[in-house]
Amino acid sequence: MIIKVLYFAAAKDIARTKDESVSLRDGATLEDLASEVARLHPRLSSMKRSVRFTVNLEVASLGAKLTEGDEVGVLPPVAGG
Amino acid sequence: MTTKITKNPIDPGRVLASVEDRSAGGSVIFVGTVRRRSEGKSVKGLTYEVYREMAEKRMKEIEAGVRKKWPVVKMAMVHRYGDLKVGEVSVAVAVSCEHRAEAFEACRFAIDTVKRTLPMWKKEKFGLGSEKWVKGTPLET
Repeated sequence: MIIKVLYFAAAKDIARTKDESVSLRDGATLEDLASEVARLHPRLSSMKRSVRFTVNLEVASLGAKLTEGDEVGVLPPVAGG
Repeated sequence: MTTKITKNPIDPGRVLASVEDRSAGGSVIFVGTVRRRSEGKSVKGLTYEVYREMAEKRMKEIEAGVRKKWPVVKMAMVHRYGDLKVGEVSVAVAVSCEHRAEAFEACRFAIDTVKRTLPMWKKEKFGLGSEKWVKGTPLET
């Protein structure tokens, strides 16, 4: 299945792209996606602890199951206001 | 108005006017502006980045959360993104209530929640091409 991954702020700088499509086996979890993202962009692992993942606009835990066409956000620590 | 993410300059007067109501006895507004110094360094400006769809959804949730806790008459939240110069308004939150105490509390809670839970990031620009993402805090749900 294909998952759309969006990168923001410092994560976007490290990945050198704002989005990309990642191919995963059917039934994969967010954790599988996180591993694939870390493989594609090893330098992102420096942010591992502070990064939050979203699935279709909601913060999700690594155990979350993904389905074809999901949109996953890779969100570094936020600083709005 | 109510809640909005915008690339255009924010007019705090308009944000405040949008919460005026005859049943409200008081309105409180918080206006955030770009500071000229950050951690001892001179800042030329900021660039805000946003996960727009998610931020718009979150702002509606923040408003709903505030309305659950306080008897809000009207409320408006506007956050800007893109390139901002020193002194420009980055965010405005206005709340009107029947009485001032709850207006102050509701406005304070709203801006604090905006800071912690909106998917937004800012990059400080120091001039001569030097820039840095502000460290921030892990997104809260």
